[in-house]
Order: sequence, then structure tokens, then C-alpha cells
Amino acid sequence: MRTYRVAYPLTWRAMDVLEAFVAFVWPPSFRAAVPYLFLLPALILVGLLVLGLIQIADTSMRVLDRDTFLLSDAYSLDNYRRALTEPFFATIAGRSIIGSLIVTVITLVFAFPYAYLMVRTSSSALRKFLLVALFLPFFIGQVVRAYGWLIILGNQGIVNDILGHAGIPTLRLLYNYPAVLFGLVQYMLPFAVLMLAPALTAIPEELEAAAGSLGASWLKTFRHVVLPLARPGLVGAGLVVMTLSLTDFAIPAMLGGGSQDFIANAIYDQFFRTSDQGLGATLSLLLVAVGSLLVGVVFTAFGAGTLAMGGRRK
Amino acid sequence: MTFGDFQAVKDTSFDLPKGKFLTILGPSGSGKTTLLRLIAGFEKPTVGEIFINGQPVNAVPPYKRAIGMVFQKLALFPHMTAAENVAFPLKMRRHDARNIGKQVERYLELVKLGGYGTRRIHELSGGQQQRVAIARALVFEPDLLLLDEPLAALDVKLREEMQLEFRRIQKELGVTTINVTHDQREALVVSDEIIIMNDGAIQQKAQPVRAYRAPENPFVAHFIGVTNFIEAVAVSANGSTVTLTCKGRELVGVLAAGSAGLAQAARCTCAIRAEQVRIAPSQDRLGKLETQVRGQVNDAIFEGERIVYEIKVAELGDVLMKVFDHDPVGHLQFGPGDIVHLGWNAKDLHVFAK
Ligand SMILES: Nc1ncnc2c1ncn2[C@@H]1O[C@H](COP(=O)(O)OP(=O)(O)O)[C@@H](O)[C@H]1O
Ligand SMILES: [Mg+2]
Repeated sequence: MRTYRVAYPLTWRAMDVLEAFVAFVWPPSFRAAVPYLFLLPALILVGLLVLGLIQIADTSMRVLDRDTFLLSDAYSLDNYRRALTEPFFATIAGRSIIGSLIVTVITLVFAFPYAYLMVRTSSSALRKFLLVALFLPFFIGQVVRAYGWLIILGNQGIVNDILGHAGIPTLRLLYNYPAVLFGLVQYMLPFAVLMLAPALTAIPEELEAAAGSLGASWLKTFRHVVLPLARPGLVGAGLVVMTLSLTDFAIPAMLGGGSQDFIANAIYDQFFRTSDQGLGATLSLLLVAVGSLLVGVVFTAFGAGTLAMGGRRK
Repeated sequence: MTFGDFQAVKDTSFDLPKGKFLTILGPSGSGKTTLLRLIAGFEKPTVGEIFINGQPVNAVPPYKRAIGMVFQKLALFPHMTAAENVAFPLKMRRHDARNIGKQVERYLELVKLGGYGTRRIHELSGGQQQRVAIARALVFEPDLLLLDEPLAALDVKLREEMQLEFRRIQKELGVTTINVTHDQREALVVSDEIIIMNDGAIQQKAQPVRAYRAPENPFVAHFIGVTNFIEAVAVSANGSTVTLTCKGRELVGVLAAGSAGLAQAARCTCAIRAEQVRIAPSQDRLGKLETQVRGQVNDAIFEGERIVYEIKVAELGDVLMKVFDHDPVGHLQFGPGDIVHLGWNAKDLHVFAK
């Protein structure tokens, strides 16, 4: 036996030693536990999150004493009453929810043709260009991008410069609701395209040709074949865009200039400006609740299987 | 039709009478799919014009051409039931909604899928999906039916069954059909007419029997059937009968239709089908066969209903000839190394000018 083992390369024998070692520390009878072992890091991370949520839930029920700036020891639902009844918070919540819905719709409308062209084009140069254009913003980061918009859209910015040359008086393009929505759409577009592209790739091009030969014009093919088959991708992309914009902080802060706060900005203010951690925690929990509710509604409406997790689709 | 500077379909011109079943036969990559896509309107010809019912259609988009197509991968809509798939062309063409249900049921019956309408596509077997695709392509009564190797993925038994189905349905409806395949057997079985294609060009257009019996060039002879090729030089010609010599041996054959006017001493390729060569242990058993040669068995392959012998013929320059023996005695008559005698008739030797 020894004589022919010599003939094996060194790397093979190293692997033998390694395997023997693994068999010693982790005997084959433990094999069944391996998948759970790999699950452990994720479980720990999620577990930490739950612990944090419990902590926040605890804080949310303590009221700030305005004289001592300390949280009360006794539990009360006062923070929830304030958050749910004061018009100030209702305005912010409404602004965030309606904003994120508008952003979702506009983003999907823009992202779909982009993803479709990227997947279907026969020109590999165009596909590469679209891909690079898609990833470029990721390298820049949200804050820098928002700052870029300040430069471009500001009163002395490029856009107003050009308008000025055309004889149009300076427009206030920043620090309003549309500016925030615009910034969010621009920020979300790559996410949506990235989620739509695989869903569209999964639709065989031949199906569209078939629809054509069966009498469906381009529009009907889109409506009856492409759109229904792209639904999992649309729902997935829509969920991501909606939750990300609902909870966004930087864009409303920078492009809204304090006048267009979203929920995350209000939470920030409670924690770091008024130091009312109780109210901040309450708002945080309510944000989690609203987000979960939206996701839940989408899941019941379209089924969790629409995220291509059902495996029923062949 | 060119993709970039690659010519996928070259000089290709043919016409097809109403109600006929035409098969385009060619190896993979010979441009069959491209040709069908041109006819269906998914591609625009770089040059040339296509006519349907006498009307030029180059400017007509696919959805306005009345063409039913069954795709290589079927292209059934996975989000619809079988019946919804079949109803799709009727809905797109705005047929009267009250009649759609009846029409769909009629065509599902035609392909023997009555009662399967509510099944989803992935709940059907390969053969059943095939039938749904056919029903969907026919339900709107198109002028022309295109079949792009839809049977290629099926197993042999099912494929042969479906070939006969295609023929039955086509006869029943009388719909003009262009079928594309690389399966020579299928082409011979189902078609009224065959076009053999290679490298984007038509090699021969003929009825199945003629395509098999009278190939016009070596490619056709090679692609359909099992054929032996012998290189020879023409000595003399008398009408279509040609006398040739190969390694000093005299051969007589018939000039193929595509090779008119053979020059003296022209180099030729001769072709003879494996089943037209008789094999025997001695010369006297070959009877009056006009050409007779001696050979040595190289290999004997048992194929069930027949035995395929590979014979090395020294007189013809060590050419390896395939010969079928339909196993009259129930066992291998010859083994490797045996000396055998081969014979054939001059009319079966096709001569192609080079
Ligand atoms: N869209 C395309 N772009 C470039 N080349 C193509 C395209 N479609 C087909 N071809 C080429 O044209 C030739 C014929 O293809 P095809 O018509 O699919 O052959 P077949 O169906 O007979 O197998 C092949 O060499 C193929 O590579
Ligand atoms: Mg093909």
C-alpha cells in the first residue's frame, strides 16, 4: 500500500490528512446537523435584531420627563397616543407612505423597459453599457448622490443656469416633495432593474414570438404574456423599492431640506434632537409595523410564491 | 438572410401549392429555423420577397400574417391552461367570444385532448403538450402551418406516433404545411414534398420517393439513407448510362439528374445504397447482378431486424462499404475476416460529376 501512495501528488495527501482531521472533529454521524450549523450565523444575527426590538419596545413605553430629561420608570402608552393622534406625526406618516407608493410605481415603470432592453437586446455592447450604467451609482453612495442633486438642481445649479439662458426665471427645484420623490426614484432604479432582470431573463423569447404568430400585437403580447410572467419580479422589485423608500433617511433629509421629513427623519429628531428616546422608539416600532403590514398585504394579495419561492413555476 | 456577415439562408427559392405538406430536411445549423422565422415574419429577409396567397408579405408584421407555428421548444404559455393556450389566438384575433369555447373544444378533440382543457401546461406529458401546441397553431384556421422540429425532443416511439398524427391532422384539415426536421425518416414518412437543405442553400426538391431513389448530388445521397461512395473516372457515356473506371476496374452507373453533360475522363463520385448491395458467400449466389466485387468482412453489426456488414473492397481502392443483410437465416452469416462477394445492378449506382 505504501508503495503506490507515494505516487499520489502532495496535494492529494494533504487533502487526505484534512479529511481525516474533519472526520475526527466532526464524525460522519453528525452530518445531518451540518445544514443547521450553516444556518447558525444567520439565526444569531436575526436573534440580535429581535433582542433589539424587545429593547426598543421597552423604551417605547416610557415617557420623557421634560424637567429631568430622564425616561420614566413606569410604563405607559402615552407615546403611542401622541404618535397616533398628533397631526404632526400623521402628516409625516402620510407623506412617507404615499411617497413610497408613488416612488414604487414610477420606479417600476422606468425600470421595466430598462431591464427588458438589457435582457433582450441582441447587441452585447448595449447590454454592457446598460449594466455599467446600472452599477455606477452603487459605487457613489446615497449621500454623495443626494449632494450631487443639490449641485445640479440648486438655485445656482446647472439646470437653473440653462433655464436662465433660455430666459426662464430661477425655479425652486429643491426642498420640496417632488424633489424628494425624484431623488428616491433615481436612487431606487438600479435596485428595481437588478430585481427585474432575472425575472425577465426567465421568460423565453420564443414565447413572445409565439404570441406574435398567434395574432398578438406588441402591446397585447406585453399585456397577456410578458406582464403576467414577469409578475414575480415586479412584486419582488416593488416590495424592495417600497420598503427602502418608506424607511429612507438621507434623501428626504438632504433634498427635502427639513421640510419634507419621512418617518426615519422624525425618529432621528426624537433620538438626537429632542432626546425623547421613548417617542423615538415608539415611532420606530410603528414604522416596522407599517412596513410589515405592507409586505403582508402584498403577500396575501399575490401569494408568497410570486417571489419565485414556491418552486411551482417550471 | 444575413446575421452580421454570416449568411444563414442563401439563394433559396421555392413555391408551395395549397394543401401540400412540405418538409425541409437538413442538418443542424443548415438554416431551417431561420427560413421558418423568415416565413413567419420574425426576421426580415436581407434580400428577396416572400409571397403568401400571392401577396408579398415582407412588410406585414407576424401578428397580421395568418400563420400558425409550432416551435422547436413549443413555446406554450405556462401561466395559462391548455384551453386558454388554444383560445389565445382566437382572443387576439377578436373572434366572437361566444364561439371561442366551442372552437377550442373542437380543436382539443381533433388532437385527442378532449377533457384536458383545464389542465395547466406543466400538468401535461410531453406528447400532450405537443398536441396543445398543434391545436393552438391550427385553431384560428391559418393559411399556413409551420412546424419547427417540434418532435425532436420526443422519444422514438412517441415521435413516430406523432408523425402519423401530424399527417392525419394535416390531411383532415387540408392545411398547407411546412415542416422542418433533421430526421430523414420523418421527412420520408410525412411529406408530399421534401426540400433538402445544407449550408443555407437548397440541395434538392423532390417527392420523398424521388429524393430517396434519385438523389441529385452527393450531399442528398449521403444525408438520406445509408450510402456508399466510390471515387471513379468516367470513360464513356451513352445517354444517362456511364461507364467508369476505378483502380482499373470497370463500373457502370446512371448519371444523376443534377450532373448533365459529363466530360471524358471527368472525376466522379458514385453512390450506392447499402440495401442495394447483395452479399453472398460465393459468386454463383449473386446471380445476374451486373457489378460484382470481392471483399473482406471488417465488422458485422447486429441491429435486430438487419445485420450491417462493413466490407473492405480491395479492388475499389480499399473502400469500406456498408451492406445490409436482412438476416434471412437468423444468425450472423459472416464474421470479421471472411471473404465475401458483393453485387449490385448498374441502375442503382448513381454517378455525380465533380
Ligand atoms: N440570431 C442569430 N444571429 C446570428 N447567427 C444566427 C442567428 N440565428 C441563427 N444563426 C446562425 O444561422 C445558422 C442557421 O441557424 P438555424 O436556422 O437555427 O439552423 P437550423 O434550424 O437548421 O439548425 C447557424 O449557423 C446559426 O448559428
Ligand atoms: Mg432549428
